[in-house]
Amino acid sequence: MSAQVAESATTSRDRTTSGSRTPVPTPRPRAGRRMRRPAVIISAAAYLITFLVVLPILWITLLSFQQSDTILSDPFSLDSLTLDNYRNVLETLPLVRMYANTIIIAVASVTVGTAVSFMVSFALTRMVFRRRRTQSFLRFYLLSGLAVPVYVLLFPVYRLDLALGIYGTYLAVVIPYIAVSIPFNTLLLTGFLRDFPSELEEAAIMDGAGLFRICWSVVLPTMRPILATIVIFNVVYVFNEFPFVSILINDPDLATVSLAVSRFQGQYTVDYGGMMAAATLVLLPQLAIYAVFQRHVIAGLTAGAVKG
Amino acid sequence: MVWVSSPWKIALMVFPAFILFTAFFIYPVVYAGGYSLTDAAGFSGADFIGLDNYLALGEDPFFRRSVTNTLLILVLSVTFLVPASFGLALLMQQRVRAAGALRALLFGPAIVAPILVGLVWVFILDPRVGLLNHLLEPLGIPPVQWIGGDSLAPYSIAVVFIWASVGFAMTIFYAGLRLLPAEVMEASSLDGASRWQQLRYVTIPMMRETIGIVSLLLITNVFKIFELVYMLTGGGPVHSSETLVSYMYFVTFTDQRYGSGMAIAMVVFVIGALTSLAYLTLSRRGRLA
Repeated sequence: MSAQVAESATTSRDRTTSGSRTPVPTPRPRAGRRMRRPAVIISAAAYLITFLVVLPILWITLLSFQQSDTILSDPFSLDSLTLDNYRNVLETLPLVRMYANTIIIAVASVTVGTAVSFMVSFALTRMVFRRRRTQSFLRFYLLSGLAVPVYVLLFPVYRLDLALGIYGTYLAVVIPYIAVSIPFNTLLLTGFLRDFPSELEEAAIMDGAGLFRICWSVVLPTMRPILATIVIFNVVYVFNEFPFVSILINDPDLATVSLAVSRFQGQYTVDYGGMMAAATLVLLPQLAIYAVFQRHVIAGLTAGAVKG
Repeated sequence: MVWVSSPWKIALMVFPAFILFTAFFIYPVVYAGGYSLTDAAGFSGADFIGLDNYLALGEDPFFRRSVTNTLLILVLSVTFLVPASFGLALLMQQRVRAAGALRALLFGPAIVAPILVGLVWVFILDPRVGLLNHLLEPLGIPPVQWIGGDSLAPYSIAVVFIWASVGFAMTIFYAGLRLLPAEVMEASSLDGASRWQQLRYVTIPMMRETIGIVSLLLITNVFKIFELVYMLTGGGPVHSSETLVSYMYFVTFTDQRYGSGMAIAMVVFVIGALTSLAYLTLSRRGRLA
């Protein structure tokens, strides 16, 4: 199922890329492309809807340049735009720290999560168990996690972190993030590995490659597209995750971006300009990164639709 | 590979994921299930009380409110979001200049952290500083309590949820539309089908599975709504705008009634398991998701 999901996402992306860039009109398998009567109206509608969707983000960006006292009285005035809000926020908001924490947590959990998922998926599809039933049971066992809404885990994991003495450290969220990523990663990876041609492996074995050679030097390099999907999906998850960090990280010095966002309301209680500048400062990097990797993010997340 | 791999090699490959997953996923679910049958709260011990927590939920007006709110958001989202995003996908398929850029912009909200989505919308819905009331003011409409008040909050949460999901749903529909066989569409237009007939009798029937999958995804996502409530209303006033998950969070972590909290968690778990099951059956039948 998942492999198909991923494939459909990637193929549609590839078609889009080839379609919109080449000057020569490529024959695209499109439905209903005859008669474009009110082409202008259709375009106008598309632009209007897009504008309305983007409006909330434009709005807070605009307000972040306003003086705090005019935000309440005359939010539409453009006379007195100022950078004061940003100056104030940058002095109080540990932006670099927040991003550093998030990146540390993301790198740790995504690398380990992808690695262990790859290893187990390789074993489940490319290695031969003495008893086949064990193999299919293990796959089912790992995939069963897909049916569990992660909120169920919050309290038990909190207790577990306390018991293991890792509560309030990076590890407190890194380990749950890895565990939570395993079912989805395994789903995509086993789907992909199943269709992997065994000739490559056999040739490698003839050449005297051992298990780890095959795993890391033969199979892994061919999996770049699916690994990219997994990495993107997991990174977006970690950047956006809030419930776990809100419970498992109590030290402000370890706060991630989304944890910091939740505290803006408290930090800048009456300083609306400050709040909006802070929100913009978090929003813009996210949108900038998205703009760069846009195609891959969309493909990755539609593939990740399984997990949602 | 046609020979049996050596057990220690298999073990080496399987164990890291297996242990992490068992300890931090399966064990917590079992633990939550067990806790839901006890009266654990605050610093006191936990005594087995059977299904009492579940029975008490039936009596809990706040829990009932959180269920109705979640269902309200669910109904609103599915009835508006599915047709809207499908229509949008159809629109984006037309010859629109820079359609790729528009699609990317529409998808944007889906990558913004939910907690930030909530914060952005505070600035729009807030009765005092919000954009919406400022826009309504010249029309002579007095300030509306979109999120602070008692009655409108769940509707506002639904609107924000729709905003955050429309581009995502559109993208899946769009991918589905592109995979429709071009020959069938051409044949139907050669047969003289009008655009409406083509949509009604060819496109929609062929998209049935995608529609089902998008709907199910939205349903699972509605049952996960938490950050929006947390940011927009904090569940208040007096728990009138809680969703299932936000109420579970409150009961467990703020009120520290761990037993009841885990009973709610188990309700969420069962709903999640059922929708996943429906999703699996549906996507196994279709080739597309």
